[in-house]
Amino acid sequence: MDFLVNWISNIPGFAVPFALAALGLILTEKSGVLSLGAEGFMLMGAMAGVGAVIVTGEPLLALIVAALAAAVVSLIFAGLVVALRVNQVIAGLAMVFLCQGLTSLIAAQEGWSSVAIVGLATLPIPGLADIPIVGRILFQQDIVVYLMVPIFFAVQWFLTRTERGLKLRAVGENPEAADSAGVNVSLYRTGAIAGGAALVGLAGGYLSVAVAKIWVDGMAGGRGWIAIALVIFARWHPWRALFGAILFGGIEALIPRVAAVGIQVPQYFMLMTPYIATLLVMIWAALYGNTRLDEPGALGRPHVREERR
Amino acid sequence: MASRAEAGSPTETPLPPRRGGFGRFNLEIRQHISPLRQTLVLLGGLAVGLIATAIVLMAAGVTLRGIYEEFILSIFSSPMSVSAVLVQMAPLLVVGLSAVVAFRVRFWNIGIEGQMIFGSIFATFVAIHNIGPEWLRLPLMLVAAALGGMLWILVPALLKLRLGINEIISTLLLNYVAFNFLLYLLYGPWKDPVSAFPHSEQYEPLERLPLLGWQNLTWALPLALLLAVVIWWLLNVSRFGFYARFVDANPKMAAAVGIPIATVTLASALLSGGISGVGGFVVSAGIEGRMTQSFFLGYTFSGILIAFLARNNPLIAILVAAFVGVLFVAGQSLQVFYQIPGAMVQLIQAIIVIAVAASEFFIRHRVHWVRGSG
Repeated sequence: MDFLVNWISNIPGFAVPFALAALGLILTEKSGVLSLGAEGFMLMGAMAGVGAVIVTGEPLLALIVAALAAAVVSLIFAGLVVALRVNQVIAGLAMVFLCQGLTSLIAAQEGWSSVAIVGLATLPIPGLADIPIVGRILFQQDIVVYLMVPIFFAVQWFLTRTERGLKLRAVGENPEAADSAGVNVSLYRTGAIAGGAALVGLAGGYLSVAVAKIWVDGMAGGRGWIAIALVIFARWHPWRALFGAILFGGIEALIPRVAAVGIQVPQYFMLMTPYIATLLVMIWAALYGNTRLDEPGALGRPHVREERR
Repeated sequence: MASRAEAGSPTETPLPPRRGGFGRFNLEIRQHISPLRQTLVLLGGLAVGLIATAIVLMAAGVTLRGIYEEFILSIFSSPMSVSAVLVQMAPLLVVGLSAVVAFRVRFWNIGIEGQMIFGSIFATFVAIHNIGPEWLRLPLMLVAAALGGMLWILVPALLKLRLGINEIISTLLLNYVAFNFLLYLLYGPWKDPVSAFPHSEQYEPLERLPLLGWQNLTWALPLALLLAVVIWWLLNVSRFGFYARFVDANPKMAAAVGIPIATVTLASALLSGGISGVGGFVVSAGIEGRMTQSFFLGYTFSGILIAFLARNNPLIAILVAAFVGVLFVAGQSLQVFYQIPGAMVQLIQAIIVIAVAASEFFIRHRVHWVRGSG
């Protein structure tokens, strides 16, 4: 029982990076831009977050800095794929490696690498936190965990209930039609890239500032890629992505606990599980339900008005 | 880079006439561009990338003189450093060829590192267990490495063909699985019994690629060059290459005329994986003489970069691999003399890819400024 409560109460912390990154990716991909740079934006957020904590000592401010840093870097990506119509796969991969190089370079130059920081504190909700079991699972978390549902609700609301959200989706489904209707395709795509990257950066900042409380080179450890797979699994629906994130958070939270209860599995095999689970989830998604139907119609396709046929 | 990216941004939203006072950029699709001009534009992109690289290096504390010394002077001044570049070039060329083969059929193989790991694991298995007669050991290791790489790409290739699962994500995820398996072996059953360090035992001399007799060059480089020629023949002369080009250019037409698309794609993917596996063998048996825990680092992106800059041409890949080899060697000396992390090499490669990819815009489009009517 104690094992179970301990495990479940740790899931939100592990699920938040997946959830935020997947949500950011959904926002970007709904506009028709395939964002393979997530791993890089996550690293950028994680590094900037730790740097901001070291400089200012304010973990909350650091999370905002993390989101902003990723958004700023994503403008390079936007310039490439929106303005210059570079192949989105090449541009996305280049962004991952650009950010990997840039983050470890900056961290090394500034001496932010492997420095333990004061992370984001938990915020027990008075009264509710003392409820047995439920209190520990739901009401002894940090502020970002509490904000998850409002953030998801806000993005879902934006995409489905506002005019801007409608235009953004139109740009992703059929940019030519949206263009004819007077929607500024480039502007919406750039905004979707930057906004999505901000959420991915926040995911990275949460990872370093709230979970690991340290910066290590390449610390995103493939979570950005897992988030990309999650979006396919969730078929671009925010709430399904949240469910998937909790699933993956659950797997990740389980890893350190399996050894602790005395089950003998070599640790390196345990460390493989998130990646294998991601593959299995993708296979499951491909077998049951046609993901193509939910994919934004123009995903990965650049829009060039002059090339219109 | 950012300023370049922005230069084109006003173009896709031609402003309405009310702001005609300034004028605007006008975009035209080029119908034709001469090969010479195309090359010049790409070289221009490369030059912009190199200038951006120099700026980043200077921001990191290297003087202009230092850049000249590390990247040009010290590389070409001694036979030792020339040989260091050539040694580094061999595995780079191999992974570049792996990427070329996969990209020719639009199979995005981002799992080069995982395939290298399994190539090296299979080769090391042969070496550790002394399989086969001594004279056949090295060829056996080579074949085993190719099989290991093929094994590691088989699942993503089948998943793509059967279920339409995106190979970018599946090949990439398997890198992490392979890496953890490598660590399991090196910290567990295959830990060096002599030093107890987490790397495999040293290969016996007959399990290493023999020296060529000049500096510390081994047979790795001739092997890689031979592979480049074979791949060139395969892709440009053979029937298989014709099929592959057809699949790349127009999959629907290819299907209509009865080209076995699935077989061609699967074969290309397996070949790509096998070549990556050989890349692992080249590093382990040609450079390090054992399997270490980080021998593969950075090769995926270098492979992609080489294929991209070489326009998927195996022979041009030889030149690009030499260029990237210079980057690697210069990066190592920057690490020693300026304490600049090895990630700088990765950053430089990313900058160059971005610059060249951006320059392609100016091959496909003509941009000119149209004055407003006032």
